[in-house]
Amino acid sequence: MTGESMLQVRDLTKRFVLRRSVGEWVRRQPGETHAAVNAVSFDLARGEILGLAGGSGSGKTTLARMLIRLVEPDDGSIVLGGLDVRALRGHDLREVRRRMQMVFQDPYSSLNPRLSVGAAIHEAGRVHHQPGSEDAGPFVARLLDLVRLPAAAAARHPRELSGGQRQRVAVARALAVGPEVLIADEAVSALDVSIQTQLLNLFLDLRDELGLAMLFVAHQLSVIAEVCDRVAIMHLGEIVEIGPTAEVFHSPQAPYTRTLLAAHPRPMALADATDPEPT
Amino acid sequence: MTQLLRIEGLRISFAHRTGSTDVVRGLDLEVNQGETVGLVGESGSGKSLSCRSIIRLMPPHATMSATRVEFEGRDVLGLSRTELRAHRSRNVGMIFQDPFSCFDPTKRVGEQVAETLRVNVGLDRDAARERALALLASVDIDRPEQRFRAYPHELSGGMRQRVMIAIAISAGPKLLIADEPTTALDVTTQAQILALIEQLRRESEMAVLLVSHDFGVIAQACDRVAVMYGGHVVEAGPVDEVCAQPRHPYTRALLESIPSVESAGRRVRRAGIPGQPPNPAELGPGCPFAERCAHVRASCREVDMSLIRVTEGHLTACPVVADSLGAVATGVRP
Amino acid sequence: MLDLESRARIVGRRLRPRRLYNWELSAGLTIVGLLLLAALLAPYLAPYQPNQVSVLDSLQPPSWHHWMGTDFVGRDVWSRVLYGLRIDMLVVAVITYLGLIVGVVVGTVAGYVGGWLDAIIGRLADTVIAFPFIVLVLAVIAIVGPGLKGVAIGVIIAGWALYARLARSEMMVLREQPFMMATKALGYSHLRAIFRHALPNLVRTSLVYSTVDVVVNMLVLAGMSYLGLGQQAPGADLGSIIASGQGYLLSAWWITTIPGAVLVLFGFGVSLIGDGVTRGGLAMEAL
Repeated sequence: MTGESMLQVRDLTKRFVLRRSVGEWVRRQPGETHAAVNAVSFDLARGEILGLAGGSGSGKTTLARMLIRLVEPDDGSIVLGGLDVRALRGHDLREVRRRMQMVFQDPYSSLNPRLSVGAAIHEAGRVHHQPGSEDAGPFVARLLDLVRLPAAAAARHPRELSGGQRQRVAVARALAVGPEVLIADEAVSALDVSIQTQLLNLFLDLRDELGLAMLFVAHQLSVIAEVCDRVAIMHLGEIVEIGPTAEVFHSPQAPYTRTLLAAHPRPMALADATDPEPT
Repeated sequence: MTQLLRIEGLRISFAHRTGSTDVVRGLDLEVNQGETVGLVGESGSGKSLSCRSIIRLMPPHATMSATRVEFEGRDVLGLSRTELRAHRSRNVGMIFQDPFSCFDPTKRVGEQVAETLRVNVGLDRDAARERALALLASVDIDRPEQRFRAYPHELSGGMRQRVMIAIAISAGPKLLIADEPTTALDVTTQAQILALIEQLRRESEMAVLLVSHDFGVIAQACDRVAVMYGGHVVEAGPVDEVCAQPRHPYTRALLESIPSVESAGRRVRRAGIPGQPPNPAELGPGCPFAERCAHVRASCREVDMSLIRVTEGHLTACPVVADSLGAVATGVRP
Repeated sequence: MLDLESRARIVGRRLRPRRLYNWELSAGLTIVGLLLLAALLAPYLAPYQPNQVSVLDSLQPPSWHHWMGTDFVGRDVWSRVLYGLRIDMLVVAVITYLGLIVGVVVGTVAGYVGGWLDAIIGRLADTVIAFPFIVLVLAVIAIVGPGLKGVAIGVIIAGWALYARLARSEMMVLREQPFMMATKALGYSHLRAIFRHALPNLVRTSLVYSTVDVVVNMLVLAGMSYLGLGQQAPGADLGSIIASGQGYLLSAWWITTIPGAVLVLFGFGVSLIGDGVTRGGLAMEAL
């Protein structure tokens, strides 16, 4: 299912400067720094879903944002299809952002409240001259269909939709620009379990239908376990373990992975309950 | 076991310009002394509001009514203003999802614990300080003297939740209501907080009402569980039994939706629950889950949602399931 | 297999638009609307030319011929008030909303870009705000010369800063909103992010504030004309009419009282609109 490597990240680092003391400031010494992300390397292949797990403050969101330079890296390299992402500016940077799209955690605030669903999706396509975007109606309808929303949703405003529907709209908007990589930053974390399942299945479908590569950032290990091909566990800014999902979860090597897995609440062996179902 | 709390026929509705919307539509719940009861449901199911009814703490524009709300046999609905204050401060402790917003950011956390003790327990300044330090130690905060002087923003989320718990148990309540206490925390911290609550419960024999959207948390921490959907309890019973043999289509579908670490790499695609959670303003009579239910029948639109006993202590609101199991409606309360 | 039911039936009803009108808004719009209509139709409503002198009819009390009486050279006060209102409303609208446009654009850009540009614009706006408003207007009049042009330039120079500061602080909040971050992630240009996504979301506060500003500017304009620094004789505006009548306050009360009352009515109406907009969220829906 997975193809050749399309995104290579090497030694990516982001440091934040902690407060400088007055003495340091007077002596013009650089303040003490804290590495939010420290020398992180990984590859992402076409059609692959890579999970990025870790607790709060592990640096996973910072890492995701650095990939499209919403946060500027301090060190390391990001190469997308042979293109050095860190060296790009202006139009070229916008083009790279088109190729790597992001879906944010909070569907309530990641959509402009004033734009209708159709307008938001169409705008994204038109800005990047996507094929078919000249004709708003069919273009929007096709994308809504891709995220399993009825075409009638185009006329709605975000506040008229439920959380799950909004997140679908956010996904449709991301797909409107024709990306190759989808970065889902805690994209299902704010949703109820039953809606979460729908979204996870949608992501799996999109990977199959469009051959997207995905970076799936989440703090819920169980979510990652079920959708990702490979998983990277982050702790204190570093990837402490990376590998095929089954391997990492069934025989974890890093002590931190074991701690995480042990703490994860286990909702019992209920899925296999073989009760007579009412008909 | 002695009964501590008994809620019957609880209705909570929000008033707005064009009328009112029922958010909780006839809820029954019972908590015995010293047990941990889970209240699980998705957003909008009415679980948080329901547990607030125990101390009659309603948001503006919301009104509650009930056939009965009894705490230790006393009618909570009939309490006078002074009695209600005593009830809130002595009998029931409460902790919330976001401990940060519950603190005064300009005051040291220790002072805030001590203040609660002075006001609610009536201790003098020195005694309150003494007791506050002991409380901080009892919620496993190391170096309590140092933490006493910390400001809320200087503490981690887990630490703040511990202080919040210290405040909640300061008056030795008989019931601790924990409303999504670990939702904002990491899994490792979550496990510690749940363990702490369990430990405190065992030591002091208080009962715990744990509200959560996460069945994993409920399964880990509770003896009994009540599953809420659309303002009703749809199923209630011992947590193991409910998890192993769910007796309401919603509970079953919900449990089947939960991803698990064990299935890592197996590429399971869960069926999930089709459709969207109900909008309370649009709910008609009958079972609120009918619209999303795979086993829906015409009669489901007329179900009165009273609970039917399937086994001792295990109740469901679904007559279709109950019929298939040969259970008889007894009109019992959970 | 993905939730087919929700495909067939888009969940959540259409939200009914919030009730836009409340009594404050209706009353305010009625008052200001009538005044505006009167000002626009001044040439048709005014029975006399505003500057038509008729010494024989001087200082007539209100009557059938002169509804609001005449002034000391026999000019019809009703006609003069209509024309005065016309010029005052035009000037106030221009200066207030030109100041608003300049201020909101400058403030939004400053808040969006940040860094040194933001620091410079921020300090500049603070300086202007710190300066006493009237003194600034007087200083500009001293340079440009008396007349409505001088007052207008002065008010705009002093007025943009508050809008800039409002818009800037709103932009700082907005900048952290995921949907603004999303404009970056989607590869939108800065211009698009600012003008299509940020501005419409932050202009509401400024619009609400402008209802206060309109009243203040109206009073400044009338005040300047009263002092002889605004509208020059023989042209009529509310301030200059009041000034012309103050020598006859006891004998011919109508010359000062009637334009004064119109001024108060206008201020009252605009304030009501402001309250109504705040309550009903009209600005949000209408824009």
